[in-house]
Amino acid sequence: MRPSIAFAAIRLLESAGYTVVVPDTQTCCGQPGYNAGDRAAARALARKLIAEFESFPHVVAPSGSCAGTVKVHYAELFADDPAWRARAEALAEKTFELTQFLVDVAGVSTVPGTFSGSVTYHDCCSGLRELGVKAQPRALMDSLPGVRRVEMRDCEECCGFGGLFSVKYPDISGAIVQRKCESIRGSGAYAVALGDLGCMMNIEGRLRRSGDELTEVIHIAELLAGPAGEGG
Amino acid sequence: MSGTRDDILGRLRRQLGRTDATRAEAQARVEAVLAARQCGPRAPSDALVERFIERARAMLSTVERCPAESEVPAFCARWLAAQSLPLDLVVAPPFAHLDWAGAGLRMRVGAADGDDRVGVTGCFRAIAETGTLMLRSGVDMPPVNSLLPETHIAIVPVARIVADMEAAWADARSEWGNAGGAEGGQGWPRAVNFVSGPSRTADIEQVIVLGAHGPFRVHLLVVG
Amino acid sequence: MEIRSMHFVERVRQRLDDDELQRNLKRTRGRNAASRAAAVAAFPDFDAVRQRATEIRRSVLRDLDVWLERFEAKATERGATVLWARDGEHACELIADIAKRHGVRTVVKSKSMVSEEAGLNAALEAAGVRPVETDLGEYILQINDNEPPSHIIMPVIHKSKEQVSELFARVHGTPPKTDIEALTHEARAVLRPEFLGADMGLSGGNFLIAETGSVAIVTNEGNGRLCTTLPRVHVALTGIEKVIPTLEDLSTLLRILPRSATGQALTNYVSMLTGPKHAGDPDGPEHMYFVLVDGGRADLLGSEFEDMLRCIRCGACMNHCPVYQTVGGHAYGWVYPGPMGSVLTPLYQGLEKAKDLPHAATLCNQCGVVCPVSIPLPELMRRLREKQVECGLRPWSERLALRAWAWVAGRPKLYALASRVGVRYLRWLAGGRDRIQVMGLAPGWTAQRDFPAPAAQTFRELHAARQAAKRQGGAR
Repeated sequence: MRPSIAFAAIRLLESAGYTVVVPDTQTCCGQPGYNAGDRAAARALARKLIAEFESFPHVVAPSGSCAGTVKVHYAELFADDPAWRARAEALAEKTFELTQFLVDVAGVSTVPGTFSGSVTYHDCCSGLRELGVKAQPRALMDSLPGVRRVEMRDCEECCGFGGLFSVKYPDISGAIVQRKCESIRGSGAYAVALGDLGCMMNIEGRLRRSGDELTEVIHIAELLAGPAGEGG
Repeated sequence: MSGTRDDILGRLRRQLGRTDATRAEAQARVEAVLAARQCGPRAPSDALVERFIERARAMLSTVERCPAESEVPAFCARWLAAQSLPLDLVVAPPFAHLDWAGAGLRMRVGAADGDDRVGVTGCFRAIAETGTLMLRSGVDMPPVNSLLPETHIAIVPVARIVADMEAAWADARSEWGNAGGAEGGQGWPRAVNFVSGPSRTADIEQVIVLGAHGPFRVHLLVVG
Repeated sequence: MEIRSMHFVERVRQRLDDDELQRNLKRTRGRNAASRAAAVAAFPDFDAVRQRATEIRRSVLRDLDVWLERFEAKATERGATVLWARDGEHACELIADIAKRHGVRTVVKSKSMVSEEAGLNAALEAAGVRPVETDLGEYILQINDNEPPSHIIMPVIHKSKEQVSELFARVHGTPPKTDIEALTHEARAVLRPEFLGADMGLSGGNFLIAETGSVAIVTNEGNGRLCTTLPRVHVALTGIEKVIPTLEDLSTLLRILPRSATGQALTNYVSMLTGPKHAGDPDGPEHMYFVLVDGGRADLLGSEFEDMLRCIRCGACMNHCPVYQTVGGHAYGWVYPGPMGSVLTPLYQGLEKAKDLPHAATLCNQCGVVCPVSIPLPELMRRLREKQVECGLRPWSERLALRAWAWVAGRPKLYALASRVGVRYLRWLAGGRDRIQVMGLAPGWTAQRDFPAPAAQTFRELHAARQAAKRQGGAR
């Protein structure tokens, strides 16, 4: 959908001095199946991801919900399988959401972003409540001289995406995201930054549908990394 | 009847996978918990009187300090007059000996009925953590006196103010007998009521209204 | 209460279209959450108390059989009669019997959700006994043709004062009032004689205390005290999971229940009732009964849903639920709404009767975070989703789509190809614009919002190209 997000994440990690590897066979962490009650499918994809990633010292995802699935839910998926459970727990130990990794592990305090204007941050549910991502993105935003951070009301309230929820119960989801859009507009910010692609599409889609062509919806990785340079 | 009881308990035992051995273990655990009476995190135990008064006011009780029990009638009379409330009281028996008439008040001793406008009670303990009265039922302590009249006046000797409910329960056990074991003392009362300010509701539009079914106002005289 | 959860989608639609309801929901939205947040912030030990409360409830469940026996023995020793009901219907029979035995004509009731589960009012009426709800909210619902509550502690949160005013004018024959204080005091005046004249008081029970054989009731209005003090007979109706061990445990739980519910440090009244009146007592009931209801609870013990039995019915989960806050409690179709209801309803009433409820949640985990006894509500909803899949209760189209997705996601080359095809299809749909406004595969999505058009190439394609370029650059 938005390859620029992943490239921005790569730039941030590289500028922090890390070598980034994207396994060729990587697909999906299995979250959609897991949340839909399809445990078998979720386990199959979890095994695949664990095998692909467990040899790396750190695993970073520019998404709170993907990181949360690996970090919080994989162990539960293998509750009855000690060998895989141990591997899942070992991987969880070294898996991080992007801003969490940059601040808590890499000790980054400055980033290359060049954004200029007021920005409000939406706390995506998984990042916030599964991983405790709250201060890290804000600290990095505050390190950008051009960014003026403003808080919207109820910044921790869900945007109503919820994966398949938004497709199964579009009316409820639409009403919830409408409130989120009102909070964003109420903050007066020029842009809203966030850390999950699903929430991003949901919020951007609703803003545009309700006639707001101005409020920019930007992934935190892109905000922090700035525009891609030559070949970047 | 006992059929249902045994069915339910039997099902619980099955769900828990009970055997004779684990049942004995469970019984031992239960006895240990009852004996240990473990407390969770508790309230601070300093500045009790000040904290009680501050918390009681936060719960919308009104509070006055009164130097001695003998002055309680005069304090009541003054406060009732200032509120334009009736000067007729129903007084719990332990306070019958005070000179109510001398303060210009009419009173009867006993349990309130639907017509009494002002009820006077003491309290078993008062809890500083939440500004709460702890009232027990008993021959001389009718719960209706703090419930049916529109105005409840409670006499709170400073010596009865304790830090929290745990402290109050400890006192209760020593006065009433051990609730969990053999009777001693004066016996465990039918009702223990904790009262924190006037009755209220916020059922309509979340707007707080005082005087839902119980008293509209609770006035505390902290004595000593 | 008859279940209507199978009509969730239609019920939601009606409620989203109900402007009056939406105005009422908006009026109170977030208010309880804000009160709770302030109460938690003002109470430094909250997390420690929450942990202890969780431990207390967990330890009781581990030995629930023995705790119940212990409670029963103690309550009986104190002169109460303990009755056991296998379900709501049985509870109704037992209570109607008690009423008959004591010549009861009128019952004043303080709030009991188990009584809602059982449909007690209808059963009492059928037995010729007049039930009078005395909690202000429950009273409003009763005189409004026995409307069900929409919240477990604020039953009429869905109504405006104008609606209450109109109802009171119609039922009481009084001039309409829109002053909330006047409405409240009108109900007080109507109900006071009911308290004084009733033969039986029926209460719920927030906690059963094993140490003393008592029931603890938490109220603000004082109706709980009146119902358990004035009538000749007191019946406490609760679920079998409500036992706690000691008075110290009660003290701990009382630090967390009101704060979680309304943000109060303590409710106005906490009544702890132990047996009938003693010789010489000037007031109090002559007879005290406990009716302990199973109603599906025993089956949860020791199961993957046991955590749910810790619930102390504070309502924090619904106060913080974006879905509940949008559709209100009636949409859920049974006694318990919001996250706790989405777990309890299918478990107590049958998975197939409440298929939507475990799915009608974004799994945002606000509920799990605020739950005072640490119930992992989103996790339990997810397990119910798994149960539905295991029992073949999901629609075939959903199953097929998930199967196909899982199959493709397990094959990296195919997944890459599917992503490339998907991106191109979506861009074709967007027709050169930056968004898609009608999408056949997810019509619901585009009914509510645009679908942002994806970039021209997938990350995988671009990344591969850049890696290749880098390698060439390195070789040069």
